[in-house]
Amino acid sequence: MKHRSNLQAVLEGAHFAVTAECGPPRGADSQALREKAQILKGCVDAVNVTDNQTAVVRLCSLASCAILKEMGLDPVLQMTTRDRNRIALQSDLLGASALGIRNVLCLSGDHVCFGSEPQAMGVFDLDSIQLLYAARTMRDQGKFIGGGALSDPPKLFLGAVENPFADPLGFRARRLAKKVAAGAQFIQTQCIYNLERFREWMKQVRDLGLDQKTHILAGLTPLKSARMARYMKEKVAGMDLPDAILERMEKVPASKQTQEGIKIALETIEALREIPGLRGIHIMAVEWEQVVPQLVADSGLLPRPSVDRGQ
Amino acid sequence: MITGTRKPMEEIRAMIAPFGRVLVAGCGTCVAECASGGEKEVALLASQLRMDAKLRKISLEVGEITLDRQCVYEFIDQLTPFLENYDAVLSLACGAGVQAVAEVFPQWVILPGLDTGFLGETREAGLWLENCRGCGECRLHLFAGVCPITRCAKRLFNGPCGGSRAGQCEVSPEVQCAWHLILERLERQGRMDCLEEIYPPCDWSRHQGRGPRKIQREDQRA
Amino acid sequence: MESDQQVHTVVFFCQQLDPQQDLHSRDLEREWGSGIRLFPMHCSGRVEALHLLMAVEQGADRVLLLTCAEGRCRYREGNLRARRRLEYARSLLEEIGIEPGRLELRMASSQSPRHIARILEPILREPWSHGPSPLSMGTD
Repeated sequence: MKHRSNLQAVLEGAHFAVTAECGPPRGADSQALREKAQILKGCVDAVNVTDNQTAVVRLCSLASCAILKEMGLDPVLQMTTRDRNRIALQSDLLGASALGIRNVLCLSGDHVCFGSEPQAMGVFDLDSIQLLYAARTMRDQGKFIGGGALSDPPKLFLGAVENPFADPLGFRARRLAKKVAAGAQFIQTQCIYNLERFREWMKQVRDLGLDQKTHILAGLTPLKSARMARYMKEKVAGMDLPDAILERMEKVPASKQTQEGIKIALETIEALREIPGLRGIHIMAVEWEQVVPQLVADSGLLPRPSVDRGQ
Repeated sequence: MITGTRKPMEEIRAMIAPFGRVLVAGCGTCVAECASGGEKEVALLASQLRMDAKLRKISLEVGEITLDRQCVYEFIDQLTPFLENYDAVLSLACGAGVQAVAEVFPQWVILPGLDTGFLGETREAGLWLENCRGCGECRLHLFAGVCPITRCAKRLFNGPCGGSRAGQCEVSPEVQCAWHLILERLERQGRMDCLEEIYPPCDWSRHQGRGPRKIQREDQRA
Repeated sequence: MESDQQVHTVVFFCQQLDPQQDLHSRDLEREWGSGIRLFPMHCSGRVEALHLLMAVEQGADRVLLLTCAEGRCRYREGNLRARRRLEYARSLLEEIGIEPGRLELRMASSQSPRHIARILEPILREPWSHGPSPLSMGTD
């Protein structure tokens, strides 16, 4: 098996990376997943598979990643600490590595109260930083959290998320520093609509030298309609969607809002590519994977690089 | 303090239905402080039960007593002379009190009148807040006196999640984000360096024990 | 007096409403007889849910809690506290199927006469929708 994941090789090869998100179905049917993945094939460097996103039960992330891997895509296994304790998490990390799944994104996960099983026990045995730390220790020191040695360390490329817009603002870059110190080799951010604030955050990130220690990918969610923009602005916690964007979406007739949303996304990508220290974009087009190839092509990011992943 | 809230009337009715003589037993400590199981609440519930029985034409004798504590043998023993006159005890103590009483009087039926809540503080009249989970390893000195295990909905040890809004928790917007409070206080105290540290995973074995936990101290044993 | 259908009324009231309440309430009791029981309090805020519940348990059809006017409480917010206690007692009655409307709070106005009987009389003469307490039915 190859030593590095495609994503790691792209990033370490100093290419501007493109990743996208793919949510597994609410059922055992893998066909829906294969169809989504097929759309993304060839136009992104890696595909994130969400882990029971928003605490809604879905086909398991690890199994979905295995399917994507088999299809020739480079999966990013999202792992939340919400549903599994350290025994299960460490076990899954070994399983991922054994399946050749290298990229792991460590998150705490949305609270169970938002999901499909609000009566569930929220596990949160570890937090995302502790999961990062545990995964790195397993990989680099061959040790479990409990101290025991493992027979063959997993091969992992570790990532984390950050929300540049969440409260408390002044602390966000320092929190990123903590994630990097715990082992985050790449970072995918919350979706960006407020470029100005994102630039400010990136400056803080550069001031702390973090852009040199980790690969930062800017999150992006194209807006499909003015209604969606309003929902994102008003209902989604930790989201910063400026009035100007909302007004722009609301000003065009409903039939043209999708085009406007894509236009905004393309302009955002163009602006993001100018920001020093930023290493790529991560497109989260929820249930709208078809837009990804268009966005990537129209922003001139095709073809995706073919990289040497080592032996 | 241990908090509790009185069970819904329907549940209490169903519990006491088989019994003709019920002793409502309060506890004068924690649950009195949180106004759910002290002398006053005993009197109110007893009055309600008497009226309820009368309305439903049921014969029910209701007695009232409030012990200083229901979790200490010397106080529990005060029930001894009264039990003969009743078929069941409806205890308004916390779960610990109910069990301690049941332990002392295994031949009597002891019913829980409260749903036991949490370890908390009285913030203001009529407002009780949970602030301790009894994890067995207090680290409040690291978090400026705010417990992330209890007061962060995701029990995060290493900083806030990305969801809080204007200092409020995304899970319950009426609750202050624990990490917002921690950061604010650490900043005021000039101790932001506390945040650089990566805190290791919690040792939950001290919380869950091997079944129930115990404290045993030789110096306290007569 | 229509003694057969007399409404058994218990009145808790704030003494500050009437400096001569001892005298004046005797007049009232003389007129209304055993149908009315008056309980003066230093402040309506001293009322407990238990007082209200006990009054019902002991046979009152109607329980009135009379407080001083808004903003006129000598102890600042006794009358507001009284309202919360009454609401609580109402909820306890509701739980066991007794109309919560049997407990009533009346706030005096700043124009009210400083005479307990004169304050109460018009209230007592108003038509009252609840019949005898369900607790007294079939037991007298």
